[in-house]
Amino acid sequence: MTPEGPVTPDPLARPSADPPQDPFRLPAPTGARVRVSAPAGGTPRLPRSSSHDPVDTFYVRSLIRSQLRLAASVALGFLLLLVGLAVMVFTWPQINDIRFLTIPLPWWLLGLGVYPLILLCAFLFNHAAARNEAKYRSIVR
Amino acid sequence: MINPTVSMLAVLLVSVSTVLIAINGLRLSRTTGDFYVASRTVRPWWNASAIGGEYLSAASFLGIAGLIVISGQDGLWFPIGYTAGYLMLLLFVAAPLRRSRAYTIPDFAQIRLGSIKLRRLTSFLVVVICWLYIVPQLHGAALTLGISTGLPGWLGSALVMGIVCVTVLAGGMRSITFVQAFQYWLKLAALAIPTVFLLLHLGLSGESATLGGAVFDTGTEPGASRGLYYNISLLVALLFGTLGLPHVLVRFYTNPDGPSARKTTAIVLGLLSLFYLFPTVLGILGRAYTPELASNGNADATVLLLPSRILGGMAGDAVTAIIIGGAFAAFLSTSSGLVVSLAGTISQDLFGGTVRGFRISAVIATVVPLGLALGTSSLALAGAIGSVFAFTACTICPLLLLGIWWRGLTVAGAISGMLTGALGCGFALFAATLVPNQPDSLHDLLAQPAAWCVPLAFLVMVLVSRFSRHRAPARVDAVMARLHVPEAVNDSLS
Repeated sequence: MTPEGPVTPDPLARPSADPPQDPFRLPAPTGARVRVSAPAGGTPRLPRSSSHDPVDTFYVRSLIRSQLRLAASVALGFLLLLVGLAVMVFTWPQINDIRFLTIPLPWWLLGLGVYPLILLCAFLFNHAAARNEAKYRSIVR
Repeated sequence: MINPTVSMLAVLLVSVSTVLIAINGLRLSRTTGDFYVASRTVRPWWNASAIGGEYLSAASFLGIAGLIVISGQDGLWFPIGYTAGYLMLLLFVAAPLRRSRAYTIPDFAQIRLGSIKLRRLTSFLVVVICWLYIVPQLHGAALTLGISTGLPGWLGSALVMGIVCVTVLAGGMRSITFVQAFQYWLKLAALAIPTVFLLLHLGLSGESATLGGAVFDTGTEPGASRGLYYNISLLVALLFGTLGLPHVLVRFYTNPDGPSARKTTAIVLGLLSLFYLFPTVLGILGRAYTPELASNGNADATVLLLPSRILGGMAGDAVTAIIIGGAFAAFLSTSSGLVVSLAGTISQDLFGGTVRGFRISAVIATVVPLGLALGTSSLALAGAIGSVFAFTACTICPLLLLGIWWRGLTVAGAISGMLTGALGCGFALFAATLVPNQPDSLHDLLAQPAAWCVPLAFLVMVLVSRFSRHRAPARVDAVMARLHVPEAVNDSLS
């Protein structure tokens, strides 16, 4: 890849002609070694645009909405739990008297218990997000 | 107390092997693309290890145990925040950012809003964040070398920056990916093996690792805790600061597509959860066996001093050497990740993205923080990193979240929001050094500004965008589609 020197500063400009090979086109994710490179000249451009079909736009917007709803509800649930934990430990110091193996309960919860919860959130989110995308794909086709 | 010869050997071993791996990378990397981003042999597991290796810095390796020694239970919020920050990244950023095909955060800003002015501001903030983030790594290196070998601390900082400069110049990002992935497992082993050893030793000699629970009694009385506001604000900073860390985002570019970006992030969460068990256990041991560190200002050395305190003799030396090696791996990997993304940003904006430009930028990226580190004195590592997270959460995070999820964002909104966040957070952190340090006071409000400054930055960004609605960028639908439409469909559309 040779650098092109100073490039026109408008990243959203459409390329005047179709490039012989779309520089943004991603190779299939195989195990073979594929070179990934930064956009030449430092200014990334949009590839030829997606269609401006209003129906398409509508479906994309509803996909975005459903993904956002999903992400926000997982985040909110997790954050509420976390803040609840912080408030509980702060307002109820006697909880430190509950001990397993000489270690107080809050240490178990904060040092160990939170992590499986994080992993569970991640797992559920990944599945649900993939499902939203699959739904979108089946509608568009 | 610590055998200086053995420690020096450990430092040398890690340094030499890091340089060797990088030189090996030199033979393979010849093109600009190789210098910028690793080749995509990178599978999610491999990539996740590299992200973990890059992310686990001095603050994680030394700082968390130190913090637990100082503030007990409050210290546990740091690893939670560091890990849960990745959950937020997974939820809101991972897949769309990968699909944006932006290589750096300034690239993303430009793709989304098409403004050079915004790009410049974002680049400037990224450079500031990277520099601020490297400085605590160098302080950690100075502390480690000083305590373990008795050599002057600045030598440690200079050594780390010298090696980073050589590795980055030699192989660029390509070799760094191998180094990073290797270093996650090195760091994990360097804490896990000593932890197991110490616990076994204590178990066999019939001593209680927690002194029969007595270690938990101090620091839980009222007044010892930093207070609710402090912890929640810290949590906000860590959760939303992770989203915007420049050196972490670059790594997502090496994922082939959105779903694999999500898969990688989920694996990273697992790796981080596993790692943070060990600093926590070592911190608890530190409360029992090196409690004096809490008051003499050397708490960050807890992990380094524990083995010689508990085991002593040859066994203590050997275990200490393992930890010192891991600590240097931590400084090296985080700093080199930061230098790579810093050099990438500087060279794309100043030198048009050539290999020569990248090399010049790499030198600039190492020299400035080294100067800063030598000119300032060390704070508590975890706390210093916490401030960088707060700054990132107030600036880059609103840009990414609103840019990805809200069509109404405008250039004016993004610029004013980021400026508000940067000035507000910067001013607060500076003012905090002038106000007396008492729990639950004005000091906390200034030292942990995230809880008020992040919402403020979001609010300004949204309001200004609303008022400049008529200047919304054209083609926002096309950009949003690129960010969110799954790959197979996206390719057929474009």
